[in-house]
Amino acid sequence: MTTVPDLGTPPPTPPAPPAPAPSSSDRRGSPIPTGGMIATRIMELRKRRGLMIALTLVTIGIPTILLLIRLLLHAFDPKSYGPAGGYSIYTGLSAGVLYVFGFIVAATLGCTAGSVDLTEGMFRHLVVTGRSRLALYLARIPAGLAIIVPMVAVGFAIVCAVCVFAAPAELSYDGVNVPAGLSLTGLENWAAGHADVVLCDFNYNGPGLNVPCGPNGVIITGPGSQVPPGSVQPTHAQLRAAAIRIAKQDFPNYSTQFRYPSDSLMIRTGLWIELEAAIGFTVGLGLSSLMGQRTVSVIVMIVLEIVLTPIFSRARIPHFLNLQRAVVGVATAHLAPGGIPVFGGGGGGPGGGQGNPGLIPESHIVAVCVIIAWLVVWTALGAWRMMRRDA
Amino acid sequence: MSTTTLPDTSDKQAAESQWAVETHGLTKRFGENVAVNGVELLVPRGCAFGYLGPNGAGKTTLIRVLLGLTHADSGTMSLLGYPVPKHRDAALARVGAIVDEPRFHGHLTGRQNLQMLAEAREPAARDRIGPSLERVGILQRADDKVSKYSMGMRQRLGVAACLLGDPELLILDEPMNGLDPAGMHDMRDMILSLVAEGRTVVLSSHLLDEVERTCDAVAIVDRGNIIRQGPISELLAGASLVLQVGCSEPDRARALLQATTIGGHIDVGPLGLGITLPTATGRDVIAEIARVLVEGGISLYRLEQIQASLESWFLQVTSRLGAPE
Repeated sequence: MTTVPDLGTPPPTPPAPPAPAPSSSDRRGSPIPTGGMIATRIMELRKRRGLMIALTLVTIGIPTILLLIRLLLHAFDPKSYGPAGGYSIYTGLSAGVLYVFGFIVAATLGCTAGSVDLTEGMFRHLVVTGRSRLALYLARIPAGLAIIVPMVAVGFAIVCAVCVFAAPAELSYDGVNVPAGLSLTGLENWAAGHADVVLCDFNYNGPGLNVPCGPNGVIITGPGSQVPPGSVQPTHAQLRAAAIRIAKQDFPNYSTQFRYPSDSLMIRTGLWIELEAAIGFTVGLGLSSLMGQRTVSVIVMIVLEIVLTPIFSRARIPHFLNLQRAVVGVATAHLAPGGIPVFGGGGGGPGGGQGNPGLIPESHIVAVCVIIAWLVVWTALGAWRMMRRDA
Repeated sequence: MSTTTLPDTSDKQAAESQWAVETHGLTKRFGENVAVNGVELLVPRGCAFGYLGPNGAGKTTLIRVLLGLTHADSGTMSLLGYPVPKHRDAALARVGAIVDEPRFHGHLTGRQNLQMLAEAREPAARDRIGPSLERVGILQRADDKVSKYSMGMRQRLGVAACLLGDPELLILDEPMNGLDPAGMHDMRDMILSLVAEGRTVVLSSHLLDEVERTCDAVAIVDRGNIIRQGPISELLAGASLVLQVGCSEPDRARALLQATTIGGHIDVGPLGLGITLPTATGRDVIAEIARVLVEGGISLYRLEQIQASLESWFLQVTSRLGAPE
């Protein structure tokens, strides 16, 4: 059939009055999101009941339940179960639970925020408003952080509170209850008075004394003792001298042990965990915006955190060391506060991740640069895809 | 409708444009497939404009290009006088649109979904949430989750979302989908009332009867091309003349008429003869047919001119008429 465009057709009705133009104060082309956009984005995420329950369970529920069980066990049977709090519990829950799972739930939230408008058909409604697509993307960042940061903070505050207020009266060092905060002389004096347990339970790298230890760290003396053939039963003075030597050797390690974490350590640990959560959210947001869907993005983020990061943190792969340093989890592990062990990287030392011989070497400056690069690059990728994507 | 001061000359130029939608040589390709092929579309302001075409003709793609949901490969376009995509934000500030099936966040209520959209618009849009919900008739269900809405209610919510921006131009893609007869009636009334307020409504649909009842002008699109556009009355005036003849001996009547110079196409059916005459056939031909039949001894019971409908005209002009699948 012949195509006959009838362009000269006059309008069927007289032209309407001029269209009201948008007010000059209407800056919807601006890339900066408004407070209202951020607030409604928070509402949209907060109303996802299943997601919020999962986030709450992981960041608040798991530490709370673990600590509650310990509190109850200690309350009913204090001889068999130690206090619920203390330094070791603190480090375990901070680095073992909140750091790792905080990252994963934050990444899940980010992946959700980055993909649901598209998958649920809301994206085109938002684009048709004329609002800058960049502003639509950037509104998600403060909105998501406004949810995940307080949630992690609440979980961490519970951990801190229990670990401080339910801390043991004495320090548990190598399984032995030792007074906390002793000087070198004080530890030596204490060791001299508790030679039995020091000789039998403290770690010691030196010539052995070959003393027979009983089941409870008590040296067996007298007729029942099994002194090795050819040797003689050590005197009480020899045992005291050996205990003092062991105490002297263990003092550097003992001096890093506390009944409960200090205020400054708790603050630094809190900031470190929040940083990890913020990274998880931001990278997850960028990745899911780039991919346009949530499930695969979440899986990739989980694999990154619990598989790739521990491997790249510890294994020294020839010729790929710089690539390993560029993994964000390795970088954040290097920023761990002193005394906090890092997941997959072994126990922390006095210098935190930096002092941890298990981690591949990386300076603080490089670690900070790696983290900033990850945040910037993934935000840019997510925003770029959102600006170019067909809605 | 709200009035605001015009901030600069581009706004003044836009306001002076008589076209709500104007495209020139607009083309959009998906690989080898040309979905929109050099479209020249002019939609006057202040009317209801139907955009018609068979499935896969490129209706929705053109709308998506106009709204900036996908980019054009070539050509120019403007909405309300604002060139897009250059002044996309200014143009879309006064545009409301439903594209495809209206989908929203199912876990939010209708009101909360509109809040999200209002915050992306100007501050005054917040105050229009309630009136918009009331106008489309779902105010009572506004605080229910959208996941509990029927298809028709989501359509209404989509229209409410369009109204948040106090739009000068509404682009509605298949707005009757999912509506029951009463809902279609309400939607038709609402579109007419929007036009009465001075707004322009572009209605993409394949429901020709609804378009004919609602729209002042239409464009027919097929395989990415606009093949006709203009006021419905003028377009139908150019349609073929169809006559229905009730008579005795229809086979002999057909033979008599075929022996004359009247021309056209003659069918014999259960209701008698169906005669389709070329466009611009004069009314004298009707009298000539009656005279031939009576002089031939045929008893003439009925001779009726069938009013051309948009549907019959649409089927005439679309290239798929009779085309093998």
